[in-house]
Amino acid sequence: MSIAHFVASGMGGLRTGGDLVARMQFTKNMKVGKAKDYVAKKLGVTAFDLSDEYILRELREDVGIGVLTGVPGTPKGIAAKMNIEDLLGIKINSCEKFRKYHAKR
Amino acid sequence: MAKYCTRMGDGSTVYMTKEEIKQDVLDGTADAADMGGIKDLTADEIEHLIEIICDTNRIVGVARGEEVVLSYDVGQLDMTGDNGNSGGGVPASRLNGALVHERTLCADTFELAHSDYSIKPVKPVIANEMNDMEVIQNNIIIPYFYGAMPNMGLYYSPDGPYGNPADLMRQFKIDEAQEQAEAAAKHLARDILYVATKIDDAGSDGFNFDTTASAGDADFVGTLTGVEQLRKERPDMSIMLGMAGENVMGIHGEIEYDGKVVAGLFPHQQVALAEKAGANVFGPVSNTNTGKSLAWNLSRAVTFVKSCTDVSSLPVHVNMGMGVGGIPMSETPPLDAVTRCSKAMVEIAKVDGV
Amino acid sequence: MSDFAKEKQAIIDAMVAYKVPGIQKAADDAKAAGMEATEIIDVMGAGMSDVGILFERGKLFLPHVLSAANGMTAVVKSLEADLPVDKMGSTLAKVCMGTVEGDVHDIGKSICSTMLQCGGFDVVDVGRDVPSKEFVAQVVENGCTMLGMSALMTTTMTVQRDVIALLEEAGVRNKVKVMVGGAPVTQAWADKIKADCFSESASEQVDKAKALLE
Repeated sequence: MSIAHFVASGMGGLRTGGDLVARMQFTKNMKVGKAKDYVAKKLGVTAFDLSDEYILRELREDVGIGVLTGVPGTPKGIAAKMNIEDLLGIKINSCEKFRKYHAKR
Repeated sequence: MAKYCTRMGDGSTVYMTKEEIKQDVLDGTADAADMGGIKDLTADEIEHLIEIICDTNRIVGVARGEEVVLSYDVGQLDMTGDNGNSGGGVPASRLNGALVHERTLCADTFELAHSDYSIKPVKPVIANEMNDMEVIQNNIIIPYFYGAMPNMGLYYSPDGPYGNPADLMRQFKIDEAQEQAEAAAKHLARDILYVATKIDDAGSDGFNFDTTASAGDADFVGTLTGVEQLRKERPDMSIMLGMAGENVMGIHGEIEYDGKVVAGLFPHQQVALAEKAGANVFGPVSNTNTGKSLAWNLSRAVTFVKSCTDVSSLPVHVNMGMGVGGIPMSETPPLDAVTRCSKAMVEIAKVDGV
Repeated sequence: MSDFAKEKQAIIDAMVAYKVPGIQKAADDAKAAGMEATEIIDVMGAGMSDVGILFERGKLFLPHVLSAANGMTAVVKSLEADLPVDKMGSTLAKVCMGTVEGDVHDIGKSICSTMLQCGGFDVVDVGRDVPSKEFVAQVVENGCTMLGMSALMTTTMTVQRDVIALLEEAGVRNKVKVMVGGAPVTQAWADKIKADCFSESASEQVDKAKALLE
């Protein structure tokens, strides 16, 4: 079912910029067009490019926001999400918690 | 006359002429319009829908650049669970489930879910859920929520402390049934606040209230009240509220939220209350009739969902799983039917996500 | 000779309008206008069908349905002296209703029970998570001629087949019409397990249950 929806209409998550567009929908109540425009502007690409694996594969690695494949040395998990916070100008709850616990050292 | 290979609402194959498909599309949209007091699909939309259904390719899809967000419900249970939640029966960990969905199943968002997928049973095991949320948040990159159904039926006898309104009604104890439903709704709201604030403390990206109002109008009011209290407590938390059916079933019949009787509300009316309560994303539902064709079900579903996206200022993520959103009620919904529903919801109903 | 169209419409309107006193008044007016008691009851039966359909289309709610049924009960009682013996307190059939073992979903089943009760059936609702053997015992003990089983999960719908097998084992399968329903249940499934009836909705179930009696 999930693959069927992705094939028919899905952005593709980490393959592209789907997770970033989702973040703007869920944090700022943006409809899909507005969310895509916002993310595209931050990444310096067009909204059309956001679902293009060819463009986003390299771009995601360049800006350190996590890539689909297992690339050693690329930011993962919280590290990638902290870069997403900077890119999109939002706060991510798990990163906030990470900083809070880190400050306890 | 040429016949097109399409589906029934139970997933079985049926051959229909274009005229028969058109008639079912017209009947489906008319049914939704009559039931919901909403507009029928336009002539252009009907033609487009017929084109999608009659496409002879096995799969169809939206144009490049028109893709939408794909948010997942039921969490890792679709891997680890049994067929009751469409699970594949793969004994994998929750972390495995999350990362597999992120890295191989193209999910734009994902969620953690308890095997009972309901608020009430989560409460006593919330510490376990918090721990798993923290561990997975350290590893995952895509938005990762917690998901559960309000499932207020669990608060009624014999599962919970309140009298069962359906049973009481049958004994003509209408006032007592309504009182019990109201008390259960308050209890549900309290549990929602407890569970959701705890999971927020564990770093969750938000909460997905799935299959809201499955126990009727009081369930909807309990959930809206819980969401409202949660929004006050956690102004920045992401909240998704998805429904159980196109219509809020009137078990109580008179219970209100924000001065409005919620029984009998349809998606375009439900979304206004979800927004008022503080949700960020709304998930409308249209249930599939297994005795009708894909054309009838999809046309009806698109009509309901379009009426919602037309008025919603929130992003709308339509529910599109087994037996909802026009998709056949089948444990393994056929690929051709799913892709047609997916495309129609994006191109005609203009949803922001699936 | 009057066809009592006005009186019939008044009865149906009162039933849909959620007013028990209104129902009684409409029936009293119809009787005063010369309508036979049996005809009044038949019109009320049609009114209940309308109420059921309106409930499923989200236009009326459960209290309305029960209020209409309550009103109908009161009217039947008030007309008792004018009714032939076979119409007094008679029910169409005795139905055992329950959700199968392992499944705790009972709202849909309860609504079906309610609709059947409102439709003139004598309902023995045995609840949810009902042990399979208990279904058979309840059917036999209560002399039910119909059995309705609900299952809301793909994991529990198979129990409907088990219960049918137990009815056969007990030698009572041919005395009981078996109806199945629930979200994952389809006509194909009903055919496969040799149930007598599948319904998509509660009001459809009432119609199909009545059809099974013919």
